[in-house]
Amino acid sequence: MTLRRRPVRIAAVLVGACLGIAACNRGDGGAPTVALVLKTLNNPFFVEMEQGAREAADSLGIELVVQAPEREIDVEKQMQIVENLLQRRVDALLITPSGSREIVPAVVKANEAAIPVVVVDTRVDAPALEEAGARISSFIGSDNVDGGRMAGRFVAERLGGQGRVAVLEGIPGHETGDSRLTGFREVLAEHPGLEIVSSQTANWERDQAFNVTQNVLQSHPDLDAIFAANDVMALGAVEAVAAAGRTGEIVIVGFDAQDDARIAIREERMDATIAQNPREMGRLAVISADRLLRGETVPAEQPVRIELVTGQQTGAVEAPAREE
Amino acid sequence: MIPSASEPHPRPPEPIVLRMFGIRKAFPGVVALDGVDLEVRAGEVHVLLGENGAGKSTLMKVLSGAHAMDAGRIELAGSEVAISGPRHARDLGIGIIYQELALVPDLSAAENVFLGREPRRGPGLVDRGAMVAASRRILQTLGASFDPGLPVRVLSIAQRQLVEVARALSLEARILVMDEPTSALTERETGALFATIRRLTSQGVAVIYISHRLDEIFEIGDRVTVLRDGRRVATREVDGADRRELVRLMADREIDERVPRPAARRGDELLRVEGLGRHGVLHDVSFRVHAGEIVGFAGLLGSGRTEVARAIFGIDPHDAGRVFMRGRPARISSPRDAIRAGIGLLTEDRKRQGLVLELSIRENIVLPVLGSMSRFGIVSRRMERERASKHAAGLRIKTPSLEQVVLNLSGGNQQKVVLAKWLACEVDVLILDEPTRGIDVGSKQEVYQLIHRLASEGVGIVLISSELPEIVGLADRILVMRAGRVVAELSGDEASQESVLAHAVGA
Amino acid sequence: MALPRTKLLHGREVGTLAGLLALCAALWVATPHFATVSNLVNVVEQSAIIGIVAVGMTFVILTGGIDLSVGSIVALSGVALGTAHEAGLPIAAAAAVGLTVGLACGLGNGALITLGRLPPFIATLGMMSVARGIALMLSDGRPISGYPASFRALATGHVLGIPFPVILMLAIYAVAHFLLTRTLLGRYTYAIGGNEEASALSGINVRAYKAAAYAIAGLLSAVTSMLLVARLNSAQPIAGIMYELDAIAAVVIGGTSLLGGSGTVIGTLIGALIMGVLRNGLNLLGVSSYLQQVAIGSVIIVAVLVDMMLRRRARRAAE
Ligand SMILES: Nc1ncnc2c1ncn2[C@@H]1O[C@H](COP(=O)(O)OP(=O)(O)OP(=O)(O)O)[C@@H](O)[C@H]1O
Ligand SMILES: [Mg+2]
Repeated sequence: MTLRRRPVRIAAVLVGACLGIAACNRGDGGAPTVALVLKTLNNPFFVEMEQGAREAADSLGIELVVQAPEREIDVEKQMQIVENLLQRRVDALLITPSGSREIVPAVVKANEAAIPVVVVDTRVDAPALEEAGARISSFIGSDNVDGGRMAGRFVAERLGGQGRVAVLEGIPGHETGDSRLTGFREVLAEHPGLEIVSSQTANWERDQAFNVTQNVLQSHPDLDAIFAANDVMALGAVEAVAAAGRTGEIVIVGFDAQDDARIAIREERMDATIAQNPREMGRLAVISADRLLRGETVPAEQPVRIELVTGQQTGAVEAPAREE
Repeated sequence: MIPSASEPHPRPPEPIVLRMFGIRKAFPGVVALDGVDLEVRAGEVHVLLGENGAGKSTLMKVLSGAHAMDAGRIELAGSEVAISGPRHARDLGIGIIYQELALVPDLSAAENVFLGREPRRGPGLVDRGAMVAASRRILQTLGASFDPGLPVRVLSIAQRQLVEVARALSLEARILVMDEPTSALTERETGALFATIRRLTSQGVAVIYISHRLDEIFEIGDRVTVLRDGRRVATREVDGADRRELVRLMADREIDERVPRPAARRGDELLRVEGLGRHGVLHDVSFRVHAGEIVGFAGLLGSGRTEVARAIFGIDPHDAGRVFMRGRPARISSPRDAIRAGIGLLTEDRKRQGLVLELSIRENIVLPVLGSMSRFGIVSRRMERERASKHAAGLRIKTPSLEQVVLNLSGGNQQKVVLAKWLACEVDVLILDEPTRGIDVGSKQEVYQLIHRLASEGVGIVLISSELPEIVGLADRILVMRAGRVVAELSGDEASQESVLAHAVGA
Repeated sequence: MALPRTKLLHGREVGTLAGLLALCAALWVATPHFATVSNLVNVVEQSAIIGIVAVGMTFVILTGGIDLSVGSIVALSGVALGTAHEAGLPIAAAAAVGLTVGLACGLGNGALITLGRLPPFIATLGMMSVARGIALMLSDGRPISGYPASFRALATGHVLGIPFPVILMLAIYAVAHFLLTRTLLGRYTYAIGGNEEASALSGINVRAYKAAAYAIAGLLSAVTSMLLVARLNSAQPIAGIMYELDAIAAVVIGGTSLLGGSGTVIGTLIGALIMGVLRNGLNLLGVSSYLQQVAIGSVIIVAVLVDMMLRRRARRAAE
């Protein structure tokens, strides 16, 4: 009976959808196409990186394609995106790896297709890269270990070398988070009066950070400071501390200097963050791609400046304070 | 051969409330209705008669908006209507009791009766008290005494049928369709239902009544329309209609309606039940079934016949008594054990317990014996087809092929599939709970022949039926149950419908 | 109306297949990069991951159940393999450990559902958390990397130019199709999903066959994890997150009823390919990842909506 009409209907819907999407994406001329594959677009850090990259691409006349898996931790999906982009024959690949080792096979595939790879933000595991015989053209990123040290020194100074500290870790096994924690712990180890009473993961997420912090406050009511491996988690901690009515009593330090974190610092709900410069990373990445495509060489390491942001100098924040 | 529909009316005709003209409805491979006309007057009970698959239910589903017709016209009280769906039909004053029960199992009986039309007490608040009271009132007029607050899931199929009837009555429809409302009811509930129908018709309600029980038709019907193969073959006044002629019109052949009983050949004891009991349900039930014997279980609704079957078959636990097969104790705690021990049970509720509606006729028939048709877990299609067609053949299942999905069969044909399934199982003792429910007159005779043949092949048969003529006609011995006990044992020759009924009601 | 399932393709799959072909045609028009041999091979290869998980999910859904734990089992079996390999077991033995762990998780689900009488949703929700937790514990939350090339060939190898994951997936589909159409296991799976009570009353060992469906789902999750580890050269405790939803989507797009009792693995294969092609196409077109999520979600909803509508109509007509 009605069954026979079904294929036609589904087909019509799908064709319509695809053509519609295609229509929005037409218009590639002879400009080189550069793909930027991010970890996710649910994190302002990567959104800023994308903006920096777009600005550079526009001024250089490069067509930029930005793609990301829905979830930051989805290494397999990121791999698929890379494969699909290679099918599309992009001219260069800029990537922020979701997994330092897991990305290696994707790099190999790009190498095979003779597409230059620039790695941004998170380092690819060097031994794994070597073992697979893969090459990357450049790494652009900040020194996360150094950033961690910066945060550690700030906490030590604020607590006068004495106190209890909790740490909110990112997803275990991420080079970025691990480096930050390494630097932070390194500094704290130099101060015998500083004790890390808790170090747990909140998987880079705000709501999980809120819960973990609440729990830590239960077990360690005498907590003096919290270090979160990114601002998203730091902001979760800020809320949890506020909910416990202890804003201002506990030093909270994040990482990334997102706008929200800067606002929180200005309002004295948070104490410090480490400014990376994702916009600059994005910009540099596209410029590097441009130079590689012209046959020029780029440095293997391109460090991006890093700085401590505190109440004294929260920098320019466009958005007016509006929370709560 | 087909007589004209216009015959003299003995009394001044009531106004015509419903006219259906040239109704046509086809399904893939089947023309279910091929230009059917039907005319129903206010205050009459108009009976639809026809073999399984003749198109009765389909015609009524067209009327109730469940099916869209392919061609034809419907007039209500003289003006044409285009029925857009079940809701619309209800708003037009058409109420229907479907053949295949359509209740929500986890809601209470009362909630089912008023589903979608719950009495309100303020915005969004259901007036539960009013609902339960109203349901109880309606159910009592039908002779049912169970608590309307019980979930439908726990009710027997007969009780559920009464809930359906109550639901249709509560609609206060002007045209009330009843598609085999009595197929699971015993005489008592049927009597109460008929009293209700008479009350309704005296108020001018038109009732369209479908049943395969011809006695009922003569008792309650005013006029009868006979359908055959999707066509109307006649409309008659019931008064003065000849029973044999009606059967001939339906089946297009002569059918001997007498239930034939060959001499009993009683062989070895197969099944022995001793002191079977389940607290509050069954008390000290004992009986034996021998090879070649047909043992009938009679009793009123709720007397415990189905419960005995369920306990023996390992569906319900029992807390007293023992079951022996061929003299050896049988440890049965699940239907699987029972089938292994050589016992089969055809359940009364074909839709819920008998069939997998999405599977084909073939797949349903061989389901219990599939294991024996497989090697290393791989099923032999050839054996399946052979076994299925062997057992379907005797039952005249109306279908384009055995690969048809059971869902698409008419009610009576679905029942035949369940029968075929248990015939194919080739067990030693077969318990049949309402085996001819919804089966037409002609096919019933064939089912009776089959039961005889099974018995003559040495199978022991336990027959549970609400149709007294069936039990009295077929059984070699009849056990009458009342309130969970066996209260009488009659031999087939001495039993009459009257004597069985007397024991059943305890008079 | 429902037709017999004996033919390889019947009405429902033809519809889904037409949807897939239409999608491909549209992408072919929209981008020159889609209809190349290498891209098409690439799409099928990518679909293998969800495709294999979805086979197990099909068995479970056919019985009228659901398995939310497949993604976590993918992670746990991978980590089990990784841990065993790190501990010095040869890779084949380590793989056997991984497969056994997956099978055991599936059997655990089956036991909770049949013996413990837990609703499948609850039992597998619990397993989802337990398996994930054990995976994180075993691995300390860290990926376990570095596998011999012989093992990695599982993902990178080719036979006659066809990537090995594709061959593995097709082989699994062929076996599953055979199981469902020709064996007791298959018939009973449909029967139980269609009417559990009637199946039990026909003497079918409902518990055993239901548990078998979950065991198959667990085992195939483990197979998937082998592919994933080989592909990424790393066993991740956070692998497979939300695979259950992708797998359910593939099964349902493929026309299997969530109520159980009807559907085919061929439909599921087509469903998995639709999801794979859609993702691939959206990547090729350079669609923003926000819009991609909208597009994928919409296709799932529309496909199932149309399917359910027809099914309801057929069902209502038949009752
Ligand atoms: N949904 C459907 N799909 C295909 N065929 C159908 C469907 N519904 C009914 N039929 C077919 O239409 C015919 C008429 O069926 P219907 O249910 O009207 O019979 P009936 O007269 O009510 O029979 P019974 O006495 O067995 O209830 C049968 O051959 C049946 O198989
Ligand atoms: Mg009928």
